Amino acid sequence: MLTISNLSKSFPGVKALSGMQLDVRAGEIHALVGENGAGKSTLTKIIAGVYQPDEGQIEYDGEITHWPSPGAAKAAGVHVIYQEFVLFPHMTVAENIFIGNERRGLLGMVDHGQTRKDAAELLHRLGVEIDPDKRVVELSVADQQMVEIAKAMVHKVRLLILDEPTAVISGHEVELLFQRLQALRADGVAIIYISHRLEEIFEICDRVTVLKDGQFVASRAIADVTRDQLVALMVGRDMSELFPPKATAASGAVVLQAKGVSAAGRVRNASLTLRAGEVTALAGMVGAGRTELALAIFGGLPMTAGSVEIGGKSHSQMSPALSIREGIGLLTEDRKGQGLAMLLDVAANITAADLQTVSRNGFLDRARENEIAREEIASYQIACRGPQNPVVTMSGGNQQKVLVSRWARTCRRVLILDEPTRGVDVGAKAEIYRIMRELAAKGIAVLMISSELPEVVGMADRVVVMREGTISGELTGADITEEQIVRLATQSLAA
Amino acid sequence: MTAISQRRSGAFVRRNGSQFIVIGLLVLLAITGFIVSDRFATVANIMNILEQSVTLALVSLGQTLTILTGGIDLSVGSMISLASVLLSGITNGDANMVAPAIAIVLALGIFVGLLNAAAVVWLRVHPLIVTLGMGAVLQGITLLYTMGPAGKMPLGFDWLAFGRVLGLPVGAVIAVALFLLTAAFLRYARLGRYIYAIGDDAIGAKLMGLPRTKVLLFVYAFSGFMASLTAIFLVSRFGVGQPYTGANFTLTSITPVVVGGTLLAGGRGGVLGTLLGVYLVSLLNNVLNFMDISSHYQLIVQGLIVIIAVSVYVEKKRTL
Repeated sequence: MLTISNLSKSFPGVKALSGMQLDVRAGEIHALVGENGAGKSTLTKIIAGVYQPDEGQIEYDGEITHWPSPGAAKAAGVHVIYQEFVLFPHMTVAENIFIGNERRGLLGMVDHGQTRKDAAELLHRLGVEIDPDKRVVELSVADQQMVEIAKAMVHKVRLLILDEPTAVISGHEVELLFQRLQALRADGVAIIYISHRLEEIFEICDRVTVLKDGQFVASRAIADVTRDQLVALMVGRDMSELFPPKATAASGAVVLQAKGVSAAGRVRNASLTLRAGEVTALAGMVGAGRTELALAIFGGLPMTAGSVEIGGKSHSQMSPALSIREGIGLLTEDRKGQGLAMLLDVAANITAADLQTVSRNGFLDRARENEIAREEIASYQIACRGPQNPVVTMSGGNQQKVLVSRWARTCRRVLILDEPTRGVDVGAKAEIYRIMRELAAKGIAVLMISSELPEVVGMADRVVVMREGTISGELTGADITEEQIVRLATQSLAA
Repeated sequence: MTAISQRRSGAFVRRNGSQFIVIGLLVLLAITGFIVSDRFATVANIMNILEQSVTLALVSLGQTLTILTGGIDLSVGSMISLASVLLSGITNGDANMVAPAIAIVLALGIFVGLLNAAAVVWLRVHPLIVTLGMGAVLQGITLLYTMGPAGKMPLGFDWLAFGRVLGLPVGAVIAVALFLLTAAFLRYARLGRYIYAIGDDAIGAKLMGLPRTKVLLFVYAFSGFMASLTAIFLVSRFGVGQPYTGANFTLTSITPVVVGGTLLAGGRGGVLGTLLGVYLVSLLNNVLNFMDISSHYQLIVQGLIVIIAVSVYVEKKRTL
């Protein structure tokens, strides 16, 4: 169906793809894997007509083609569901589904009745209950994804590309998504599935192509490859080496205590204790209120009830400035929006929360800043051209390391990390785990929010599970298993 | 009330709340008008308000579309000035020249709008800067053409400003008709959908292959056209074009748009909100007149209204 050969693409200063090949058949789900920066998204955007290749050819349906624009690719039946959805938040579900392909009646006018009816029918065929008149901004993330899939079906999709579709949904929603994909495969649609989660690839994909550093590594049938072999192809590293050993010493002193915290209508009466030297994981479904609880503790969201005790004092309201003074650091879930100054360089980002040490008489000492940055780059093995490298050009994993190093410098007591390894490749994941463990060993209480169960089980000394805004349980030691966490995250309150 | 229906009604108020607020303010102003003057609630005064609202309505109709795409047109004031002096200058009292002069200024408005859009699309300059610069260029051209009132209009041309159809001011009828047509266009034309889509998520629109260039060429051309149309009605009212006649319109064209609930960020709102905003501003000026408050204060009030309206309707982003 789609055969790509010898494809190359360069951007100023970077060779994004070279000699790439890919062969996708109708009626298969084809996984595309590789570490961040391997060239998956560049390849996707070339297939989608967003970028033009420098060399190489694309054969689609037995014909050599090239798509000069996203519209041309769409017309040929290529549909991409990007990690950041392409939905217009203030339009209704029906309007979004038919955007660019409006249902028209008399005089070519948009027929709103027909649009609504067709949208309802499409959603029904997908087996989802979504009101076509709702605005997309009011939908859950999982429902938004279903709207994206409905959109693909309008365009008579023949090649569907999904970029990290499960990064934002969890559990049951993933199962629903897989059912839809299997149905599409049965209809003869070719599907390219990009994911960091290898377990999903083994569950749903038929074949897999591995990319590394912009180059083709291998294509295999899933049945012919083991998980370890796949990881070896991607990085040449064993999975079991991913997690450093857990803390062995007895629990340290209590560092921070949240008591009966309520916030933002999403967190109700949640209590939490963080101890020095421990990695505590905050687990639960997406939307369970984990991020909100962390923000309330840090002072990013106002607390409507409860208190936070740190440094021997009880606060009924926190603020980011107070938190930084008390030695709390926070790595937000959204690196680009709330963490990094993307256009500034590595040095400026590392020292952003701690300008006192790099300034003299109110002026910045750039030499001192660069010196610190060079030390941090070496100690965290941040891959960049140096302190002056703007972070926008770096891979997700390295950006995350910049953030970790920023907060590790200022936080003396508590470091909160919200989904620290989301969208980060395996190699950088191992680095981040190692750093978290090192910080804990220095006596810092680490709080990690994570939706990835293997990560929670592999890293946490203590797991606090949230469900619908409340704490539904706490696990330690040998009780920390995926099954126990899922049970606490999903059981009904009455049970 | 269940959680779901609460959310629904909450969404309804959020979506249409601006219109309720504006209607509430209109009622409040009308009551104030009743109290301050017994001449307020007369047919003559209502006709007067409708007549005075025409130019504001026309220029802000064009402005609404540029703002819906997430842009803005700050060249409308100078465009109005240029079109007004050209119209009366070219006509110069000759009834035979009225139609050609009108055609010329309308075409010029479209042309200037296309230039604005071209700079936004191909030079990739923010609309704020493009149209601010264009405004200066147009004002300069206007002053090169004339330093004072230029030419004159033939007798009878004031019919547009003061005439009646079906007992209503001509201009008001035309303006309301254009608002209704544009509202239908936004709702029923594909291009109308795309105006909202581009304002809502410009990158998404690009990835979806929506025709951004076409949309921007259209909205800025439309805004330029409406500015020239505004100039025609202004000249009809004053009998002559003047080089600074449009100066205040740049700000005042934005006031009704934001008061009517269209977000400056684009993607949300509509022309009917703008029409309510137009009548709110016109009624406010009228009531202030009855209260013997000078037009200088009216300018101050309008400036404050823009800032307050934007702050009320702005999407409160989640902030740390």
